[in-house]
Amino acid sequence: MTSPWVQRIALPVALTALLILALISLSVGDLRLGLGQIWDGLCFNDQLAATVLWKIRLPRLLVAMLIGAALSASGLVLQAYFRNSLASPGLLGVSSGAVAGAVVVIGAGLAGYSLMVVPTASVVGALVATFAVVILARRGASTERLLLAGVALNALLGAVTSYVLSSFTLTYERNAQIMFWLLGGLEDRTWEHVAMASPIVLAAALLWPLGRPMDLLSLGEREAQSLGVDVRRLRRWMLALATLLTALATSVTGTVGFVGLIVPHVFRLLLGPEHRRLVPVCLIGGAAFVVACDLIGRSAGNLRLGIVTSLIGGPFFLWLLRRQA
Amino acid sequence: MNALDISGASVAGRLHDLTLQVPPGALVGLIGPNGAGKSTLLQLAAGVLPASGGVRWDGRPLSEIPVMERGRLTAWVPQEARFEFGFSVRAVVSQGRFAHGDDDHGVDAALARFDLTALARRPVNRLSGGERQRVLLARALATEARLHLWDEPLAPLDPRHVLEVLQLSRELTRAGAAMLISLHDLRVAHCLDMVVVLQDGRLRAAGKPADVLTPALLADVFGVRARTAPSLILELP
Repeated sequence: MTSPWVQRIALPVALTALLILALISLSVGDLRLGLGQIWDGLCFNDQLAATVLWKIRLPRLLVAMLIGAALSASGLVLQAYFRNSLASPGLLGVSSGAVAGAVVVIGAGLAGYSLMVVPTASVVGALVATFAVVILARRGASTERLLLAGVALNALLGAVTSYVLSSFTLTYERNAQIMFWLLGGLEDRTWEHVAMASPIVLAAALLWPLGRPMDLLSLGEREAQSLGVDVRRLRRWMLALATLLTALATSVTGTVGFVGLIVPHVFRLLLGPEHRRLVPVCLIGGAAFVVACDLIGRSAGNLRLGIVTSLIGGPFFLWLLRRQA
Repeated sequence: MNALDISGASVAGRLHDLTLQVPPGALVGLIGPNGAGKSTLLQLAAGVLPASGGVRWDGRPLSEIPVMERGRLTAWVPQEARFEFGFSVRAVVSQGRFAHGDDDHGVDAALARFDLTALARRPVNRLSGGERQRVLLARALATEARLHLWDEPLAPLDPRHVLEVLQLSRELTRAGAAMLISLHDLRVAHCLDMVVVLQDGRLRAAGKPADVLTPALLADVFGVRARTAPSLILELP
């Protein structure tokens, strides 16, 4: 299935797809905009189009791209770390950790103090979950063990979230905010959310040079070390970046499942296992996938993003399980 | 100065207070029954297994050599070649150049040397055991290391490739590299520069094969009766 021809065109194709999807995403909605109107709107020549684009559609598009890239790259790194193609932030409980962290600070009424409170709490929650899953399922653990560890963590962190929902004296706004996280969506995303998610770009840039050593690591720890890879340092970086990417994505859109599972998996099938190639393609492809899912949701009567990705990802996951068995 | 210097190294339950020197340019056979500690010794010599005691390469303590530089100085070949992802043969061999900044230097020569040129694009997880072993040896060759630590490199190979690997080992040691290879074929061990005998995690004997591989030692360590007699001799044409 892997051919040099496919490998060569993968990144240009993914970039083109992302560009086309982005243009469609800017164009469709209650007010339909043509290419010319989009240009005029972006240049502030058309006041109505400018308002729609700069206030609503552009931030939404950017948030979708950022979290798509983040979740898919996070899944790729976790799969390399656990040497298991079913590892992903959602199944392992990393996303649930980020949600629990966010819900706790929103419920406690701390979210208003600073823009960075929720992302920080998400990162802390996700780090706790990652730490737990690394202890529960060592590298190279069987698929059963990995998934069971994820089930246990997801249940535990879900309980934390439920506890917050039931015990705090919640105002209507706080309750609505929390429900927003639990559902996962891109509704009403503003430039504030783009700013909150922007460190994703930095984390993705840090991921870039890890592609090559990740290749060596995925063929064995001792082999990698003897070939010159600082394995302990590499593993720390991999976990830190995977966690950070998931947490940042979750802190702006809530739970969006299965992106980190589907995107790396499909590209690994198409392009082979080399991470130097997979890292950029997963970043771009993940962004394109989430923009596409958002478009599907919007054209299907405003289905929330998390619902669309789960409707696509659930069956895909079951198919993968069947294929592994 | 020794290429490899191990002094008083121990790994709990597997190796006890082991001291060993490998001079540069020496082709050394590491022998011993199953479970004697051969793989453990090679791993601690390669610096991929933490152990108490000292390991030095060319007189430098291992702890003072950065990980990246270690990748250029030493090539360790594990006993078992397991590949969980479908990397191409060429991709795996070129990993030997990681510590050299992935310059791809000598990768094609290493592939050719192990008859892998025709298999270069094949995924490694679809190769036979012997072919996988040759991929790992080609990767070790590509590192251009001065110290080679190979764990049973000959076991899965066919007779012709065994001879070729031995010939290559000779070339490497003549060029000044030092090699420590574990093996079970005592007749091959008999032709090397030096043998090291392990028994129950301890050094039993080390020295020239003719001095070490006496019938008495072989009977004691391996439980076999040894004698010299005319036998089938295999050589490269």
